[in-house]
Amino acid sequence: MAEPIVRLDGICKRYDGAAAVERLDLDIAAGEFLVLLGPSGSGKTTILSMIGGFALPTEGRVLIAGEDVTELPPAKRPTATVFQDYALFPHLSVRSNVGFGLAMRRVPKPERHRRAEAMLKLVGLEGFGDRSVHQLSGGQQQRVALARAIAVEPKVLLLDEPLGALDLALRRQMQEELVRIQKRLGTTFVHVTHDQEEAMSIADRVVVMNKGRVEDVGPPSRVYLRPASLFTASFMGESNILPGEVVEATANAAWIKTAAGILTVPATAKVGETVTLSIRPEQLQIGRSEGGIALGNGRIRETSFQGTHMRARAVLPASGADVLLRAPVSANLAVGDMVELSVRPADIAVLER
Amino acid sequence: MRFRDVAVTLYLTSAIVFIFVPVAILVQYSFQDGLVPVPPFRGFSLRWWVSMLANRRLMEALGNSVVVGAASSFVAVLLGFLAAYGLARARPRHAGRLQFGLMAPLTVPYIIIALGLLNTFGAIGVGRSLVTVGIGHAVINLPLCFAIVYSQLGAHQANIERAAHDLGASDLQALLLITVPMLWPALLAAFFIAFTLSWDEFVIAFLLSRFDVTLPVVIWNMLNARLDPTLNAVGTLVFAISIGLVIVVALLLFRWGRRHG
Repeated sequence: MAEPIVRLDGICKRYDGAAAVERLDLDIAAGEFLVLLGPSGSGKTTILSMIGGFALPTEGRVLIAGEDVTELPPAKRPTATVFQDYALFPHLSVRSNVGFGLAMRRVPKPERHRRAEAMLKLVGLEGFGDRSVHQLSGGQQQRVALARAIAVEPKVLLLDEPLGALDLALRRQMQEELVRIQKRLGTTFVHVTHDQEEAMSIADRVVVMNKGRVEDVGPPSRVYLRPASLFTASFMGESNILPGEVVEATANAAWIKTAAGILTVPATAKVGETVTLSIRPEQLQIGRSEGGIALGNGRIRETSFQGTHMRARAVLPASGADVLLRAPVSANLAVGDMVELSVRPADIAVLER
Repeated sequence: MRFRDVAVTLYLTSAIVFIFVPVAILVQYSFQDGLVPVPPFRGFSLRWWVSMLANRRLMEALGNSVVVGAASSFVAVLLGFLAAYGLARARPRHAGRLQFGLMAPLTVPYIIIALGLLNTFGAIGVGRSLVTVGIGHAVINLPLCFAIVYSQLGAHQANIERAAHDLGASDLQALLLITVPMLWPALLAAFFIAFTLSWDEFVIAFLLSRFDVTLPVVIWNMLNARLDPTLNAVGTLVFAISIGLVIVVALLLFRWGRRHG
């Protein structure tokens, strides 16, 4: 990685002895869209607060653009925050809200108005400058909060669950717009959310957090398909978790005995070791597949229609193992059907934890 | 009729009889011709209003009441705001106890507060005057002003101030450009409520004043002298101003509620 724009150097945060964030090292690249993902209480917002200057790390340092900003207040940092409740100034017009940061930087009024208008245009609120913030819908307020933060041209934009209060359709639309605006400005975005679908659709890189610790870091596809930990595997979506024991191993393959039979995976392991495997439901193939490991016939026990696909549970009669499938609606599964199941070795993830 | 209807009717009737009828009678008598305020109504006249306006002592007291009310309310709002802001933002160690201490004067009878202040002023050699009355009114109104402002300094407002700091505002800029304007309706409401209470207050005004007095004290003196129908006009005026202020507060809070609801 080139010189990172943000470097978290061994930061941790404890409140009255309880750790909100355990020792963390993380580099964020310039222009990256990073998402901190985790359930509530996982420490993701605390990390954001420490980058923004709203919380002082108990230990460690925060560097932005090579400069140690650990002790600097928010006003002196090249960061800007989009708050969860938007925190718009209720007594100011939309234009004055967006121009506030520029006013604090003593930008003259005409220039300030011009730039505020440009920001409003960028977020799709052209011509809204004279309105009061109370006249705006939740989605529009969200856009004003975004425009207000990017108007000061921060090196790093911090977003604290900004889409949490919006309905699903609007949330999807805002996700696309955030990515569009981020690519256009080239600003580094650090976005906090507990919604794994949101994280996957917007992030260049996802940091999965749990109980103040980093569970996994990587591009969304890798984190989803080959999760590093059991927590990541289940938090990122539904998964078939299979504990097993290594019964045979070569330099680059291992044979693992599980409830679903013996599975070959391309991994290095020692015989006798116990491991946990994760297989996403959509990676269980119905019918024989090229190079796939046959799991035998499964009996469909339960189905539910999900719109884009069919979700089904099947029992493998040979072992009694219960697995979750995702089949195309056209497969027309019904309870009681017997289906042949297989999985490609490359689709099986071996969890490290 | 069901029990609920009986209860509602009874409640409304008593409210009208005990609250509105006396006021209505007072207003009516202020416009009645004749020396004795007894029924029946004897014809419309403005003589008691003229008599009131011509009474220098009354007019002086009216002016005193306005000055004491405005000054003591301003001080109470200022101190109440500072206490609320400090407690909400700095979150000192014993915030709960401090809050209790600030609110405690609400439970003390005015006469006890007046006696306490009287002794204190005596001990430090400060004579009774409108200033001491104003201090007394600031003391009784401070808890109320504090409570009104404190209730408006929640987590959302804290985030708004945080946003101001984040965008480069200094502490002073955030206070003057964001916090105070954002709380403006609450500050005004607190001011007018405090003013209304000072305007009507008698016990403290009576015990802590000497030569210059406020309107309720003059009314008391006039009541003791003889039955003067001018008092009906004075009473109507005092009532009208109080009601006017209450309406201002209600409008402020209503507009604010709509904006923030």
